[in-house]
Amino acid sequence: MKKWIASIFLLITTQSVLAQVNINMTLAGRPPANLSEWANRREVLTFVMSGSQMDQLVVKIKAEIKTLDGTVIGTTNLNSAKSYSPLPGASTILGALDVLPLEYMIFTGKYQSILTKTGKLPADNYVLCVQLVRLPDYSPASNLVCKNFYLAAYQLPTLMMPANEQELNANIAQSAITFRWTPVVPNAATPVTYRLQVFEVLPQQQNVQALRSNQPLLDKNIVGTAQYIWMPQLSMLPTNPTENSDADSTQKNGERNKKGIPIKFIWTIQTLDSFGMPLNQTDGNGESRSEPLIFYVKFPKVSLNKE
Amino acid sequence: MNKIKIILFGFILLNIAADAQTKKPDFSVIGTMGVTYEGYGLNRNPSGWTGYTPRRPWNQVRFNFMPNFKFGKNLSIPFNISMAALPTNFAGPYSGFIPGGPKQDFKQWITNPVNNIAVNPKYKWAELQLGTQYLKYSELSTGDIGIFGAGFDLRPKSYRIKFFTGVSQAGINYFSGPPTITGAFKRNNWMFQIGKEKEGKYELSLNVAKGKDFINSSAPPPLTVKPQEGAIVSLLSNIYFNKGWYVKMEGAQSVFTRDLTTPTTTLIKSFDPFIKAHTSTVRDYAATAAIGKKGKNFDVGISSKYFGAGFQTAGYPFLQPDRFDYLLNTKLNTWKNKMNIVASLGQRVNNISSTTLKANQFIGNLNWFTQFNDQWSLNVNYNNFGFQSASGLNPYGIKNVSNDFGFSPTYTWSNTKMSNMLSFSYNYSKYDERDVLTGTTTGNNTHTALLTYVPSYFKKNLTPDFSIMYFHNDVLLAKTSLVTLSSGLAMPIAKNKIQLRGQLQYNLVKLNAFKNDNNLIASCNVDWKISKQFSWNTFLSSNYFKYGNSIIPTGANYLESMCRTGFQYKFDTKKKQ
Repeated sequence: MKKWIASIFLLITTQSVLAQVNINMTLAGRPPANLSEWANRREVLTFVMSGSQMDQLVVKIKAEIKTLDGTVIGTTNLNSAKSYSPLPGASTILGALDVLPLEYMIFTGKYQSILTKTGKLPADNYVLCVQLVRLPDYSPASNLVCKNFYLAAYQLPTLMMPANEQELNANIAQSAITFRWTPVVPNAATPVTYRLQVFEVLPQQQNVQALRSNQPLLDKNIVGTAQYIWMPQLSMLPTNPTENSDADSTQKNGERNKKGIPIKFIWTIQTLDSFGMPLNQTDGNGESRSEPLIFYVKFPKVSLNKE
Repeated sequence: MNKIKIILFGFILLNIAADAQTKKPDFSVIGTMGVTYEGYGLNRNPSGWTGYTPRRPWNQVRFNFMPNFKFGKNLSIPFNISMAALPTNFAGPYSGFIPGGPKQDFKQWITNPVNNIAVNPKYKWAELQLGTQYLKYSELSTGDIGIFGAGFDLRPKSYRIKFFTGVSQAGINYFSGPPTITGAFKRNNWMFQIGKEKEGKYELSLNVAKGKDFINSSAPPPLTVKPQEGAIVSLLSNIYFNKGWYVKMEGAQSVFTRDLTTPTTTLIKSFDPFIKAHTSTVRDYAATAAIGKKGKNFDVGISSKYFGAGFQTAGYPFLQPDRFDYLLNTKLNTWKNKMNIVASLGQRVNNISSTTLKANQFIGNLNWFTQFNDQWSLNVNYNNFGFQSASGLNPYGIKNVSNDFGFSPTYTWSNTKMSNMLSFSYNYSKYDERDVLTGTTTGNNTHTALLTYVPSYFKKNLTPDFSIMYFHNDVLLAKTSLVTLSSGLAMPIAKNKIQLRGQLQYNLVKLNAFKNDNNLIASCNVDWKISKQFSWNTFLSSNYFKYGNSIIPTGANYLESMCRTGFQYKFDTKKKQ
């Protein structure tokens, strides 16, 4: 028994002599899916190395990303990675840009292929292991720190109803319009807010131009459900001036085109996190706005038979 | 000052046009110009209550100047100028440039999407494009953005050569507010197309488009937007055969750097000479294909779209990638055109790249209209969509299903004095959402019924209409009912020169056991055709809404009022000649 205790003590002592720098790492359990985005968010990864009291070492950071079964899928290319010299007796704090430098990371097979295409890894649980290594032989210079994390990109809602270019019966739509969309996938750790916005498209405007330039008729935050019933009181809004310019167009060829409300609308959902910030700032437009759709509000054409 | 110059320039051109109308027979002008004022008012009670927010600018003046000057057969100069006196941006980088907010400089003003200043001189097959242009080269390359710049569109014989370059976004500094300005980096765009086209026969084109942000163009820079750079190459091929058959295809590759501040890398292949790779650079593909037949009484077609997860283009900033979808649609006119059936069936699969959870959507629509005889017609519709995804870290996956069924019979009858139309429609909508933590499915049922009566007098110019609607939505903990009574009356006066129309609408809203909310809306249109070319249109409305006790403070109410009045002038020298 004494031999065992002595052996363990010797091992620990040897290890601490060899590993002259202590390291510590905090990693968000669910970091952004875009690996390049890690560097922009300080809260994602913090790495602290505390230098030895004895002498100054020159080290490199060796990072490995593994799957849960231990397969290494990405590792730092130590030949080209940056060197660090932790100051004796002081702590150095680094972020994801230094610990996981994508410009020096080598990924394997399909992971490299998906990363090149999407900037992301396949949705899964991973382990990030980090250790400092000495130059020039890359022998361990610190303890090994490993942290688990889960990666899954957010898919923004798809707008479902009203469908694109759908014509709504104005007799109903002037009082109630139902909006439906698919929820964000996967479910965020904290409830997301769906900001539903509806804009009128003026006659001379392109659809996206209207979204970018007009005051929204509806700007509503919705939490916890993917449906909203809007009671728009549309008949108090004017029809577009050019629609009205022909004073005798209300009765033409037995067809009546009733007027009094706007005709064309564009709507979208902006998905916000619990801080009110766009959920997905690096994909697409950076505003976390779903692909907008158009809908029309029209009175049905009425054919009146004259005898 | 610059705005005044532009307005003066417009009026000088107008004078030239007026002279030309009398002097040169081979010169013509068609189009419109006008000015419109909009006023909006909102009074909320009790004072300080903000439960209802304004939905229009308090005051706005809009100008439009859109004449097309035609000199003989070959030369035309169309203008497309529309401007607003006050910015009203609420979404996107220009949001915050609203009255009371920071002022925009001239570059920001001219690239603000609220303003559009463009002129496109055209001689035979050559068109010069100047000012703000919304150019759609193809479905995958570019089409959704307005760019202020210069370019051309050449169409000698069947060839197509297009180029345009300019600024789609001026640099905007971040401003914490209020009102907050998100900010933006200055973005330059250019696009090029070369191809061949014979209308109704074929279209073949190669499209290249690029957008690039300038990192130092805003200070302080935006907090949430990254400087980006992207290029895309697409090949489009559409072929139209005899008897209405068609095949349409487009394939594209995009290379996009999501954050230009990330380090450059050699591990990702650059897209020379357009893009130098950064660690945030992605490269992916997209494709669209459609095949079908269009006929007088029968259409059938299938279309599909594939967007890789890393596919991104500056020309369609809202495009959602990482999906594959297909849609089968058909249209049938039969029974001597008295029966019309439109149906579509489709599926969308998200997560082609496995970077998120797999999600499936199913979409099915059917609309069936039948005119049985001169009196009776019936419309039936059914819409369904379902959405399902894997559970991920949650115990249950998302599963939402929507079913909508509606029918609408219409009866028309007439006598020697008048014609009458009575229409009824009923719609039942069921929407189920599953909770991912408990697995419980929440039902959301909506019933909508509408009855409309429209009489039409043969010898009188009165055209009234009446409708009553009942709407009921039932969801866990909330039952909402809405009844709407609406009536309108239109009539011409002053020898048909003035068209009057008024509408009165009453809404009664009831939420659970709370007291009723009451709403009354009155509106009026006066459209005066002063001459054949000149008209004055006015709209006035008022909307009073009084809550019962469903919100706090009890008895809260608001009064919205709206006024829009504007003059429109129609250029039309052709008719005179």
